[in-house]
Amino acid sequence: MTTAVLDATIRRPLLPGVGGEKVVETRSLTKRYGTGIVAVDSLDLSVYRGEVYGFLGPNGAGKTTTLRMLLGLIRPTLGTATVAGAAPGSPASLARVGAIVETPAFYPYMTGYDNLRLLAIYCGVKPSRVDATLAEVELTPRAHHKFSTYSLGMKQRLGIAAALLKEPELLILDEPTNGLDPQGMADVRNLIIELGKGDRTVLISSHLLGEVELMCTRVGVIRKGRIVAEGTVDQLRGAATLAVRGTPEETARAILVAEAGADNVTAMGDATFSVKVDLQRTAEINKHLVQAGVSVTELRADERSLEDIFMELTGTEGGL
Amino acid sequence: MYSVFRGELFKVVRRPGIWVLISVLLALAILIGYAITWLIYTFPPPGSSQGLPPGTTLADFKVALYPQNFVRQTLSQWGVLGGVFALIVGVLMQGSEYGWGTIKTLYTQRSGRLTMLFGKIAALAVVVAVMVVALFAVDAASSSVVAWVDGKTITFPDLDVIVKALVAAFLIFGFWAIFGLTLSTLFRQSAMAIGLGLAYALVVEVLIFGLLGGLGGDIVKKIQQWFPIANTNYLAQSFGSIRVRGIQGQTTPYADASHAVVMLFLYVLAFTAITAYLSRTRDITA
Repeated sequence: MTTAVLDATIRRPLLPGVGGEKVVETRSLTKRYGTGIVAVDSLDLSVYRGEVYGFLGPNGAGKTTTLRMLLGLIRPTLGTATVAGAAPGSPASLARVGAIVETPAFYPYMTGYDNLRLLAIYCGVKPSRVDATLAEVELTPRAHHKFSTYSLGMKQRLGIAAALLKEPELLILDEPTNGLDPQGMADVRNLIIELGKGDRTVLISSHLLGEVELMCTRVGVIRKGRIVAEGTVDQLRGAATLAVRGTPEETARAILVAEAGADNVTAMGDATFSVKVDLQRTAEINKHLVQAGVSVTELRADERSLEDIFMELTGTEGGL
Repeated sequence: MYSVFRGELFKVVRRPGIWVLISVLLALAILIGYAITWLIYTFPPPGSSQGLPPGTTLADFKVALYPQNFVRQTLSQWGVLGGVFALIVGVLMQGSEYGWGTIKTLYTQRSGRLTMLFGKIAALAVVVAVMVVALFAVDAASSSVVAWVDGKTITFPDLDVIVKALVAAFLIFGFWAIFGLTLSTLFRQSAMAIGLGLAYALVVEVLIFGLLGGLGGDIVKKIQQWFPIANTNYLAQSFGSIRVRGIQGQTTPYADASHAVVMLFLYVLAFTAITAYLSRTRDITA
């Protein structure tokens, strides 16, 4: 599937099963810097209540700039945005949003507990929430140690605790697993999966496609400041195909055309065919091939990974 | 804004750097303002009376160290030098937010940017007030010790004079603190702000008007009266000068206290407006 086809078939505002209240909505959101660089280019984005929305893109694609605009840290050059029912960065919006933008930033001379206590004061949150959120991210044993002594994983967890302090309806997490070791990544991933359950909306940018696949209910791919594809992971992948290798080749082709139709059978060379067909019919097709005297040496589902799709869409190699 | 103000105080109280800075200021006030000066006046080096008015010795200047003069002594010694400490406090309270990246943490809480700024300025005012009161308390105590050691009576200026002096010092230190806050907002860091702030406080204005003063004439003083260090000095000098054997220590200031108060207040307002504009309009990209 080409980028253009993906763009046409997948990028649509309302996908099957997607809808309801928009928690984040941008219209023609644009950020142009004085140097002429267009970091975000007429971005239209809708995130619905209860979604875990993955925001994917290579470095410099405009992910962080977009998230910063949604938090009011950066002012758009053009376009509009609504976040949690209000203008980005307004007190009404901020009161309902928790966020981590890149590396979590806290006061190094204060303990983790005091840092959260401080944010609780700023937000008018009860002090008891501090203990609760520290427990939620399993940081209680180190709560009274200075932030400057924390490992990267602990800093990230404190950042998530800070984002949760207000019990926000929308979480904006910019690469929350950045720099973590595999165990830390797994912990944060599981935490986000838990947080995404229920009514809470999570908008997450990540450079780990496997994680996005596990965490997100919907994904948007951004390239050069524009959304180039949007949909569920399955929709982005498109239909899986069946790879069949059998001889004699002509007999195999005839059987496969009869089963799936000529348009859905592609010869890949070396007596191998790619067949667009419902994978639940695999056993039936195999039976017909064998009954026709075809020696089947390979029969497997050929499913494209999100990484393949991503590289097609963004023209990058080896992930983000 | 009250929650922001509380939050800022929460940070300041826990920040060792602020307390170290205030402690150094107070230690210097004792050491330079009283201890070393008293030693020099009490045990003058040979030939130290040269250049003094006829009939006076260094010991005659000890009157400046006694309680009746502690207000004048504090303002004249620490108007600019103490102001430098206030400038650093202002820089630290704002510049560190950029250095640690906590500015983005602050701006993604609940309050708008201007509320965050005014809450911070209110907390800065409290820190400056603590500095001023502590400085006056330390100087009052030091002058009492000096008077006691020299066997002099301990007589303080009238309470209204002390209160006026506290307010004047608060305005002077407040100006320097907001100057530091503005510089650190402008440069989005502490180092540059402290460097330029110190350069201005200790060199730029003094040097420029020192050189221009060589031209003579009233025009230089007319221009100088609009500048902050000049007004800091006018305000300090408005509390009078110390008389040694009936001789007045300094000439009458070029402008009066009212002029100085208005000018310093206008500077505070101007720097607050500049900081508010920068805080409100700038993107946070770090």
